[in-house]
Amino acid sequence: MINKMFKKKSNGDILFDIFVYAFILFCAFITLLPLMHVFSKAVSSESAIISGKVGIVPVGFQLTTVKFVVSSKQFLRSFGISLIVTLTGTVLSIILTAITAYPLSKKYIKGVKPILIIYVFTMLFNGGLIPNYILIRNLGLINKLSSLILPMLINVFNLLVIKSYYETIPESLEESAKIDGASYTRILFKIVLPLSKSVLATISLFYAVYYWNDYFRPMLYISDVSLKPLQVYLQEVVMEIGDSALGFEGSIDDMMDITPEGIRAAVIVASTVPILVVYPFMQKYFIKGILIGSVKG
Amino acid sequence: MTYSNNVKPTTKIINSKRIAFKNYWKLNKELYFWMIPGLMFLIIFKYIPMFGIVISFQDYNIFKGVSGSEWVGLANFTKLFNSPDFYKVFTNTLIISFMKIFLLFPLPIIVALVLNEIKNMIFKRTVQTIIYMPHFLSWVIVSGLFVTILSSGGMVNKVLEMFGLEPISFMMNSKYFRGVLIFTDGWKEFGWNTIIYLAAIASVDPMLYEAAKIDGAGRIKQIIHITIPSITGTIALLFILKLGHVLEAGFTQVLVMYNPVVYDVADIIDTYVYRMGISKMEYSFSTAVGLFKSVVGFILVISGNMLSKKFLNKSIW
Repeated sequence: MINKMFKKKSNGDILFDIFVYAFILFCAFITLLPLMHVFSKAVSSESAIISGKVGIVPVGFQLTTVKFVVSSKQFLRSFGISLIVTLTGTVLSIILTAITAYPLSKKYIKGVKPILIIYVFTMLFNGGLIPNYILIRNLGLINKLSSLILPMLINVFNLLVIKSYYETIPESLEESAKIDGASYTRILFKIVLPLSKSVLATISLFYAVYYWNDYFRPMLYISDVSLKPLQVYLQEVVMEIGDSALGFEGSIDDMMDITPEGIRAAVIVASTVPILVVYPFMQKYFIKGILIGSVKG
Repeated sequence: MTYSNNVKPTTKIINSKRIAFKNYWKLNKELYFWMIPGLMFLIIFKYIPMFGIVISFQDYNIFKGVSGSEWVGLANFTKLFNSPDFYKVFTNTLIISFMKIFLLFPLPIIVALVLNEIKNMIFKRTVQTIIYMPHFLSWVIVSGLFVTILSSGGMVNKVLEMFGLEPISFMMNSKYFRGVLIFTDGWKEFGWNTIIYLAAIASVDPMLYEAAKIDGAGRIKQIIHITIPSITGTIALLFILKLGHVLEAGFTQVLVMYNPVVYDVADIIDTYVYRMGISKMEYSFSTAVGLFKSVVGFILVISGNMLSKKFLNKSIW
C-alpha cells in the first residue's frame, strides 16, 4: 500500500494534527456550551443558581425544578397539543406528499410539466403573511388546531425529493406489474410506496421536526390559552410574557429550592429532550436525506 | 366503425385521435386522479393567498372583504416609498443579511475542510453528530438557551465580571443585538451546512489524493489544490442561493429574540409586516410591503438561477 510509505509522521504533520483536533474540539465545545449551561441550571440548587456558581456542571444536584415543571398543568397541556399536532400533521403530510409525488414522477404523462411548474412557483413566490392570515380567518380556522396543519400539508421541496426518488425506481418493475393487469393505484401502494420506505421515513422526520418546532403559525392563528402549543408556551416563559410565566408565580413560594431562573432552564430542557430523543433516529436518515436532496430537487 | 372512401380524411384523423385519447385516458386516469388532492391543497393554500395580494391596491376592510373594499390604486406603494420606517427596516434587513453572509458563509467550509482531515472515524462521526444537532432545535429553544447564557446572572456576564468588566445586557442593547443575531444563527446552522460540504468533499475521487501524495504534496497542499477546487461548484451554488434570500434576514429568529428596545437595529421587513398587519391591522399597507419583498426576492432568485445555469451549468431547482 502507498499509505504505508507515509505512515511515519513528520513534525509538521503532528503539528497539523494538533491544530485539526484542537479546532474541531473547540467547535464541538461551543455547540455544547449553551446546552450544558442550561441543563446544569435546570438541575442545580436554588442557592447555587442565585449565587451564580452554575457554569457547565450542576451544583447541588436536584430534580425538584424539573419535576415541578413537567408536572405543571400548562406544560403538560402544551406538550400534549404539540404532540397531537405533530403526529396528525406528519401522518397527513407524508401520505399526501407521497401520493402527489407519484403521478408527477411520470414524465410521459401529459400535463406533468406545467403542474410541476405551478408547484415550483410557490417556492419562489407566495402571497405573504397578511393574505395567508386573511385566508385562515375566512376559512374559520382561527383557534382551530387544523390551522397549524392544513397550510403546511405539502412542502414542495419534500415533494420534489420524493418525486426524484420515485424516478430512480426501475421502470421494468412497474412494467411487469402492468402486464399482470395491475392498475397504477395498485402499483403505487403495492410496489412504489414499499420500495420508498427509507425516503418516506426521512421526509416524515423532516415534517415532524417542522410541525414540532413551528412557532409562528400558532402565535398567529391560536389565541385560545388552552390550545397553545409548546413553542408558544416556551416563548412566553423565556421572555416572561403572557399568562404562562405568571402561572408559576403563585406556586413557587411554597416550593423550596426553586427559582424563576431554574424554572426557565427546566422548561427549556423539557422542550429540548423530545428532539434529543428522536435525534439518533434522524441521524441515521438525515444524511441520506441530504444526499438525496443534493442529487437534485 | 367503418372506413369507407366517403369519409373525409380530416374526420378520420379526428376519429383516430379520439380513440388514441380514449385509450390514453383509460390507461392513465388513475394517475390524474391522484393529482387532485395535491392540486386542491395548492389552489386553496398557495394560489388563493397569491390573489389576496390585490388588497395591497385597496383600502381593505376585513368586514367588507375584497369585493366590498375601496380600490386605491398605488396609494399604499406611494406611502411605502415615502415611509421612513420602511427604509429603516429595509436597511436593517440588508445589514443583518450581509453580515450573516460575510461572517457565517465561510465558516462551514472551513470546518468541513478541517473535519475532513480527521482520520479517526468514531471521533469524526461524534463531532458531526454534536455540531449539527442545533439545526433541529426551534428558534424558541435557541433563543431560550442564549437568553439564559447572556442574562445578567448568565455565564457570559459572570466571565466579564471575573475580568472586572461591567455586565452587559446583550438582548437589550442596540450595540450588541445584531451580534447576538449573527452568533446564534451561526451556532444553530454551521454544523448542518458543514455536513453539506462534507458530502461534497466525500465525492472527490480518492485517486486525485493518491496522485498528489506521490507527487509529494503535503496535506495543506492537497486541501488547496484538490479539495477546494473540487467543491467550488457547491460553494458557488450555495452562495447564489444565499444571495437570492437576502431579503429574508431570519424572520422567526428576529421575532422570538427582539424587543422594542432594539427595534431600531433589529426590525426587519418581515417583522415590520407582521407588526403593522397583525397588531395594527393595517392589512393593505403591510400586504404592499410584503409584495415588494416577494417581487424583489423573486427577481433575485430567478437571476441567481440564471447565473448558476450560465456559469455552473446547474439549475437550483
